Amino acid sequence: MDILANLLIPLLDLKLLSLIAVGTLAGIYVGAIPGLSVTMAVSILISFTFSWDVYPALALMIGIYMGGVYGGSRTAILLNIPGAPSAIATAMDGYPLAKKGMAGEAIGIVTVVSFFGGFIGILALALFAPLLADFAIRFQPRDYMMLAVLGILLVGSLSGGNLVKGIFAGALGIGIGAVGMDPLTFTERFTFGTSALQAGVSFVAVMIGMFGISEGLQQLHTINTPGVKQKIGRIVPSWSLVKKHIPLGMQTSTIGAVIGALPGTGGDIAALMAYDHATRVTKNPEVPFGQGAIEGLVAPETANNAAVGGAFIPMLTLGIPGDAVTAIMIGALFIHGLNPGPMLMVEQPDMFWFIVSSLTLANIFMLIFGLTGIKTFVKIVELPRSVLLPVILLLSIVGAYAVNNSVTDVYWMLGFGVFGYFMKCYGYPLGPVILGVILSRLLDDNWRRAIISDQESLWMLLKGTLASPLSLVLFATVLLIFVSKTPIWGMIFRKKA
Amino acid sequence: MQDNEPRRPGELAFNIALFLVSLFLLYSAYSISGFEALSAPGAVPMATTAVMVITAGLTLRQTLRKPALTAEKLSRDIIPMPVIVTIAAVVLYALLLSPLGFLPTSVLFLFGLIWYLSARGPVFSIVVSLVTVAMIYLIFRLIFTVLMPPGIVPEGEMIAWLRGLFSAGN
Repeated sequence: MDILANLLIPLLDLKLLSLIAVGTLAGIYVGAIPGLSVTMAVSILISFTFSWDVYPALALMIGIYMGGVYGGSRTAILLNIPGAPSAIATAMDGYPLAKKGMAGEAIGIVTVVSFFGGFIGILALALFAPLLADFAIRFQPRDYMMLAVLGILLVGSLSGGNLVKGIFAGALGIGIGAVGMDPLTFTERFTFGTSALQAGVSFVAVMIGMFGISEGLQQLHTINTPGVKQKIGRIVPSWSLVKKHIPLGMQTSTIGAVIGALPGTGGDIAALMAYDHATRVTKNPEVPFGQGAIEGLVAPETANNAAVGGAFIPMLTLGIPGDAVTAIMIGALFIHGLNPGPMLMVEQPDMFWFIVSSLTLANIFMLIFGLTGIKTFVKIVELPRSVLLPVILLLSIVGAYAVNNSVTDVYWMLGFGVFGYFMKCYGYPLGPVILGVILSRLLDDNWRRAIISDQESLWMLLKGTLASPLSLVLFATVLLIFVSKTPIWGMIFRKKA
Repeated sequence: MQDNEPRRPGELAFNIALFLVSLFLLYSAYSISGFEALSAPGAVPMATTAVMVITAGLTLRQTLRKPALTAEKLSRDIIPMPVIVTIAAVVLYALLLSPLGFLPTSVLFLFGLIWYLSARGPVFSIVVSLVTVAMIYLIFRLIFTVLMPPGIVPEGEMIAWLRGLFSAGN
């Protein structure tokens, strides 16, 4: 009965209910606008909601989080600019669909499967929190390290064939992420003696540059062609279309919830892994992947929304953030005098069930706002490109500036934008750069922890990897992905044939 | 993985530059802590820059094998005038942001670019710029409380006046 009473708290309180609704709607727009990130919005909200009670503060943040993860898909489909990293995979098939005049259908199906994925994630949070927390606690540093490599390799392998360029881009990203003072030894890395580089390169500036500016510059080539009128036809997808993709959606939602539950990995990796999974299990897609396959939308969008529920599992049971947004939320809980960790669920079960229930409501609001507001949203895209592009550039500049109130970040953004533009011109994928930057710290820290605990011996590290079933599976997956994309794979199979 | 498309203008120079920069970064990573220990702060940077050198080298070899003949031109297909003008506009924006302030710089930026890129007249461009900047300002400054450089605009007085207006209405 207690659980039910706690679950009903946000439903019966009109103020909380409206805060979740407002948060979700705002989240959709924040997630969709390149340069505005959910992480940024939630971190700013902490200062807004400092004096609020914990329930309303959490309600608003949960709404923004849920809406934002979904919102990133909007601009990925309409403009080929993922509004958030978790929508990188969505652009691969979403934009080709929009170019075919099927933006409405794409957004419709994405909304429904996001709701579906979100629901599975919340279910996982409610049912399997203790079990999954047990699983995650067994992860060794070497496993985190391999997970990071896996994430980067996956994006590289999705880059449309040229794995070499994909790996270069991933390595470049890790390098960019390493710039600045090493947090463990305070040694300067890639600072070239300048103090401006000691704090590192702002990740947001890199991301806005690579995805906002370079895409803007790329679109200048076609500025004089008539603007892309994204025709919005049917939005609500047919039941038969949804039904057809439920089996895949179940699998990719599970991937999303599990990946989301792993500390440090969020919707972005979940979406990419799910996309990769879909390309492997879908034998005959009606449309090839990368050209507008519905499976290419279902997989990442179920997974990234399922990862939201998943990300709360380590946050609430272990006190470890599942991703950047939950990291900020942990900060918010601390501010409100709560102590996320194993004891939270014992001492304050009401908080746990309140979060479960708020997530569920945010998920429902996401479905409602997602299916109803599309035409208004698309009006923004229907503006002439000669007007839209300068506005996107201005938003990108403001976004890059706003992170640290620094003009230097604007230069960084422009530098990475121009560099990204040339990379695009010459066939280098940009996704792995961003993944590399995000995962650089995770990879570096865990590599060092792993090798120190194995007494600086590669042999011991390998022995440890082979002895642990979990590490072995991860190691084998990394190897498999690498080998399957190299000519060696083709040679083996040609010989067999 | 071998693509036989012709080499694009500037592609060779770009890949040579990437290879050289990767070599320099490898050297720079080596100078962090050398081969001191596998857990040294320079270990992961050295490994990643080594991967960059190898992959940039492989790509350079691929590029050299591509036929150089192409109908594309550097000035038309890779860096056409609108791209150069836009990059210059962003640089100008960054230069003017602190001295002029957010509002005038943004209006100038949008007005200039919209006028240059669209076939519409200056009146259209200035109206669109003013309305857009006003909206962005309201969202960022007042709702998200992002502080933008005020520059020559007496922003503090403006906000105080706006607040006065609202409180007078209450």
